[in-house]
Amino acid sequence: MSDTQSYEPRIVAFLCKWCTSAGADLAGVSRIQYPANVTPIQVMCTGGVSPMYVLSALRKGADGVLVSGCHPGDCHYIEGNYLARRKLHLVKELLGFVGVEPDRFRMSWVSAAEGAKFAQVVRDFVEDLRPLGPQEKVKADRS
Amino acid sequence: MIKIQDIRDAARDMLAKGEVRAVIGWQRGSRGMAAEPVVINAPEQADGLVWDPTCYHNLSLYLVNDKKAQAHAKQKPTLPIAIIAKGCDARSCVVLMQENYFRRDDIYIIGVSCEGTGVIDERKLAVALGGVKPTSAAFDGDDYVVTLPDGSEKRLPAREVMADRCLECREPFPKENNIALGEDKTGRALEAPFAALARFEQQSEAERWNYWQRQFDRCIRCFACRSVCPMCFCDECVVDSIEMKVAPTTSAEEKASRVRWIERSNTLADNFGYHMTRAMHLAGRCIDCGECERVCPVNIPLRLLNNKMEREAREQFGYEPGASIGGPSLVSSFRDDDPGTWIR
Repeated sequence: MSDTQSYEPRIVAFLCKWCTSAGADLAGVSRIQYPANVTPIQVMCTGGVSPMYVLSALRKGADGVLVSGCHPGDCHYIEGNYLARRKLHLVKELLGFVGVEPDRFRMSWVSAAEGAKFAQVVRDFVEDLRPLGPQEKVKADRS
Repeated sequence: MIKIQDIRDAARDMLAKGEVRAVIGWQRGSRGMAAEPVVINAPEQADGLVWDPTCYHNLSLYLVNDKKAQAHAKQKPTLPIAIIAKGCDARSCVVLMQENYFRRDDIYIIGVSCEGTGVIDERKLAVALGGVKPTSAAFDGDDYVVTLPDGSEKRLPAREVMADRCLECREPFPKENNIALGEDKTGRALEAPFAALARFEQQSEAERWNYWQRQFDRCIRCFACRSVCPMCFCDECVVDSIEMKVAPTTSAEEKASRVRWIERSNTLADNFGYHMTRAMHLAGRCIDCGECERVCPVNIPLRLLNNKMEREAREQFGYEPGASIGGPSLVSSFRDDDPGTWIR
């Protein structure tokens, strides 16, 4: 099997406890099929996702990083997702600036009722990551 | 133009009257023409103060160091400490006060205007003079006058050997001050703001990565950029990850599985992590004093990263670092119309 065939993007997903985690759960109990490329990590709020999480995930070999939380206005902590939106916008810009494909980082709003949307977000992300190939730029060399 | 005597008088008066406990300024250094930072605490020492185009240092770093020293000695100073501040130094004081590191009453700002002629870039000067090391430098209108080792004087147009950040500086006058000396030439940028950044961004993504890969690869992780930055005042830096309580009962597994966000080794991936983390931590705080870039022993263009964040903050969020003491910081505030279309 050639490299391109065997390549499956590995996505680290930081999902907010109150919306997207529940949305992902709903996708599961609704038996909606979506690619198994995602490693979900539950966080209390997208507002708590430090830029270090994103950088660290890339360093440890993630091909893509997804941050997903409540829609604007729906945050359990009132404004966490607004703060995340601003902060993570800067992260995305910075990644693009130094020449790491900004498409490797994605953010989405998925509520607890949007199981189908969560599946779609993952499907889209995996398809968008495939042409980019494995992320080798900032992956730590462990050889 | 500022007369050096005015600065000395101001410092001497304040010390003599007991209004401040010390004055942070510059004195003649031991390294060629370069001025060096000094803390004086007696009126007669004021005569040693200097003000010339070699006063590159952002002295607010020494405010931070002073605060740390005071805390370490368990002292609560009653008198403020005075600082001689250029436009950029005054802005960094504002950020420090905005973050409640200082109260406004803790410091006394003696503002000095660069009057748009800024400070010398030693690397540019070395090129301009063909490696000859001048013994002193002085402001003269829009020129610098440097004295060469043989005693002769040479006049150089300031904009040819000025530090890049000064070329792009729109605010050479210290807006936040207790007293200010010199002429206000705010808005007189010699180059468009973010000119270097705009030039850099014309390259393709692959070219940019090639460039940064080369830069990050060269980083020796000496942490000079962190040491010289007045905004890097955390007692414990996330990069160090040395502070783990190790008791006799701590198992090897616990030691091995502690979180290391960034390894200390200078591999590309970890250098990338370090510089990106630093840029993020300085987003909305960096006031572009350019000290990190000046002290970098391997000439990594760190200002580009910080400039990128600064421009993003200005254009996307209407945020100006170092503009107001009372306002919220960039990442602790938001507006309803922040850009959100990139979110799926």
